[in-house]
Amino acid sequence: MDFTVDVLWVWHIGGMEVWITRTIFNTWVLMACLVLFALFVRLRLHTFRDRPRGFQNAVEAMVELFDTFLKNTGGEKLMPLSPWFFTVFAFLLLSNFSGVIGLRPPTADWATAFAFALGTFVLIQVMGLRYRKGAYLKSFFEPNPIFFPLNLIGELSRPVSLSFRLFGNVLSGLILLSMVYQLAPVFLRFVLPAALHFYFDLFIGALQAYIFCVLSLMFIRGAAE
Amino acid sequence: MYESLALIMAAAHIAAAIALLNGLLTTFGQGKIVAAAIESIARQPEAADSVRGTMFIGLAMAETSGIYGLLIAIIMLFANPLVNLYLQQIP
Repeated sequence: MDFTVDVLWVWHIGGMEVWITRTIFNTWVLMACLVLFALFVRLRLHTFRDRPRGFQNAVEAMVELFDTFLKNTGGEKLMPLSPWFFTVFAFLLLSNFSGVIGLRPPTADWATAFAFALGTFVLIQVMGLRYRKGAYLKSFFEPNPIFFPLNLIGELSRPVSLSFRLFGNVLSGLILLSMVYQLAPVFLRFVLPAALHFYFDLFIGALQAYIFCVLSLMFIRGAAE
Repeated sequence: MYESLALIMAAAHIAAAIALLNGLLTTFGQGKIVAAAIESIARQPEAADSVRGTMFIGLAMAETSGIYGLLIAIIMLFANPLVNLYLQQIP
């Protein structure tokens, strides 16, 4: 079975071994795609019009979609976070979709999912401290100081559960598909994987990327209000 | 020596199967969520969009325990620490 993360190269940088795994390589590929798209958008927008048409209209619609999403789900206060969630959603969506063209999705590695969940964790703390200051720290000791360990564990388990949800969904799809590719009879290898790719990569991938953003936003809103 | 390894492997596979059994209750809970959501959509069709959004969030929340079971099963099958521990003790 080829769903394990294999090491492509080992670099020696300053006496330290740096393992370049397939996850890191695929992340670079997806990052290059996103950066190239961003540069393309920037170059196409050199003729900025006040009344958007065509390509500019599509790009503005994408940005506006996230602005309204932030306003509806997170409230007016969290509007500055819109670019962050746009970035996270774009990367997670592209990474979940990348299983369709045969890349190993970077989110099928727990490290990637946990990195994004850690970003959410940092945002929760920063936003809570920024908007509620002392009241946020006090909320750990409610309703009774005895509950402090429970509250702390509940707070620390958030990034873990958030990352496990994304990672488990993508990994289960990857394992099932690689089993189908290797174990199914030859005539089934042409039709069946297409349907499974559609469900596991496109549907579940889009749903999990959306749910990751919504849950992060709800956690941040819960801390900030 | 291989008999004890076979015993460990068999126990790991049975444990993985038991860990996946929590899908029963997870799916039951998700079914209840969807049933309640459909009921409220049938009662108030104009609120369908917000109910659908909340339903997906609830489904994702309920799915967490199923995902934990799945990860335990995967660890049992492919990255079992007990097998590695046993193999280290054999000179």
